[in-house]
Amino acid sequence: MTRNQRNWWFGAAAVAALLLGSTAAWAHHEIAGKFDLSKTVDLTGIVTNVDWRNPHVHVFVNVKTGKDLLNWAIELESPTILEMDGWTRNTLRPGDAIAVKGPRARDGSRQVWGGDQVRFTDTGLPVFPAKLHPSGAAAASRPAPRGPDGHPVFGGLTPAGEGYWTDPSKTALVEDGVDVKMDEWGLLANPADAAKVAPMQPWALGVYRHRQDRMLRDDPMYLNCKPPGGPRQYQSRLGVEFVEDRARQRIFLLMGSGNHNYRIVYMGQNRTTGLVTGDDDNPLYYGRASGKWEGDTLVVDTIGFNEDFWFTNGGLPHTSQLHLVERFTRPDFDTLRYQVEVDDPGAYTKRWSATWTMKWKGGTVPFYFCQNNRP
Amino acid sequence: MLRSLIRSAVVLLATVLAAPVHAQEGHPLKGSWIGVWEANKDAGDDIIMVLNWDGKAITGIINPGTDNMKIGNATLDPIGWKVHIEADGKNKAGGAVHYVIDGTLKDLELPTRSVTGTWLSQSGKGKFDVRRQ
Repeated sequence: MTRNQRNWWFGAAAVAALLLGSTAAWAHHEIAGKFDLSKTVDLTGIVTNVDWRNPHVHVFVNVKTGKDLLNWAIELESPTILEMDGWTRNTLRPGDAIAVKGPRARDGSRQVWGGDQVRFTDTGLPVFPAKLHPSGAAAASRPAPRGPDGHPVFGGLTPAGEGYWTDPSKTALVEDGVDVKMDEWGLLANPADAAKVAPMQPWALGVYRHRQDRMLRDDPMYLNCKPPGGPRQYQSRLGVEFVEDRARQRIFLLMGSGNHNYRIVYMGQNRTTGLVTGDDDNPLYYGRASGKWEGDTLVVDTIGFNEDFWFTNGGLPHTSQLHLVERFTRPDFDTLRYQVEVDDPGAYTKRWSATWTMKWKGGTVPFYFCQNNRP
Repeated sequence: MLRSLIRSAVVLLATVLAAPVHAQEGHPLKGSWIGVWEANKDAGDDIIMVLNWDGKAITGIINPGTDNMKIGNATLDPIGWKVHIEADGKNKAGGAVHYVIDGTLKDLELPTRSVTGTWLSQSGKGKFDVRRQ
C-alpha cells in the first residue's frame, strides 16, 4: 500500500468514526423520554454484569420468568451522580440478588429505570440512599462568610474550605407564584398546565407543548451535549461552583454538568469589552454577563444568548432577545438564594421571574462529561 | 486510482461536514429555507427564504439577491402549525406579482424541519416545499 493510499484509509476511518459518533448522539436521553413513568415493573433477579460507564450505568440481571431466564437491563444515573451518593463500581457484583421497581422502557424492550428503587433482596435494604441527593442534616445556621470588601463570598475557596452549590429546590423554571406539578426533569404531571408555567406567546406555548408531548426527548443538552445555559446551570443536581477572581474583577461559574464549561461574570465592566461589533454576531450559550453588588446581593445582567439550547429543564423556549437579571444572595452559610428575571419579548408576553434555593456542599464541584456511547 | 480515492474522500468529508444543521430552538420559522415552488414561470422552480422573528412579526426575504422579494405578511398558527406567507415580486416583464403561500410546518423538533403546501399568484399556482438549512 502506498503512502497516499494509507492516508486515504486513515481519513476514511476517521470519517467513519465521525459518522458513528453522530449516530450515537441519540444515546443520551431524558429519563421520561425513554421510560414510561406510568408503567412500572417489579423484578427480582441475579446480577450478571455491571456496566459502569457514561452516560448511564446499567446493571444486568437474570430474571426468572415462568420457565425462562430473561436478562433485563436496569438503568441508573451517571457514574458521577452515583458516586456522589456513595455508590462505587463494586457496590453491586455479579451474583448479587437484587430487586427493582421502576418504569419500563417505552419501546417494550427489557429495560427498567432503577432510579432509587434498587434493593438487596436478602435484606430488603436499598442499594443506595432512597433520596439520591440528600442535603444533609439540618445544620445549625451559620453566617455567610464575607470577603475583605465586606460582601458575601459565594465560594468555592473560602476560609471555611472549598464548596459548591447543589440540591436545587426547583429543577425547572416556573413563574413565581404558580403552582404546577412536574417531575425533576420538568415534565408536567398534567399537560393541561402548560399555559400556567410562564406567560408565553402563542408560538412559544405551542413549542413548549410539543416538547412536553414528546416527553422532552428532543432536549439538545442530552441529544447533542449542548451547554446548560441561562438558569439551567442552577437546576442541575451536579451543582455549580463560584470562583471569585477579585483581582481581575470577575467571577467564574464552574458547571458540574457542563463538560467543564464555565461562565464568566465581569464585575462592573462592560461585558462587550474587546468586541468591535458587540454581541450581535457572536451570540453565546452563556451570554455576556456583567455583575454588580447591591448591598449583599450579587446582581448579574446578561444578554447575547444564542438559540441553540434549552435554557431550562422542561423545554420552555427562548429567543436571542433573552435578557436575564439574576440575583444571588447567601442568607446563611449553607443557603444560596437564586432569583432570575426573564425578559424575552421574542417568546414571552411580559417579564417574569422564578426563585429557588441551593444548598452548600463541601468539596470540589463534580465534573460530568456528556458522552453518548451507548443506548 | 489514487485521484479517484482522494476525490471520494473529499466528497465523503464534505458530506459529513455539511450534515450538521445549525440548531434552532427559538422561533420555529427563523432561519434559511431552501426548496421548490413548482411550475413558477416568473421566479423559477427553486426558492430560498430567509426568515426572522422580531418578537412581533415574521419578516424576511425570498430569493436574496437582485430579484429578491420582501415578505410583507407572514403568520404561524401553532394550532396545526399552519404557515401563511405573502410576498411581492416582479415577473420578467417587470409587472407586479403577489404571492400567497400556505403550508404546514412539519418535524418541528428537528433543525431540518420543513414547510409543505401550495403557492399561488396571478400567473399560476403549484406545490410548495422548503426545508430549513
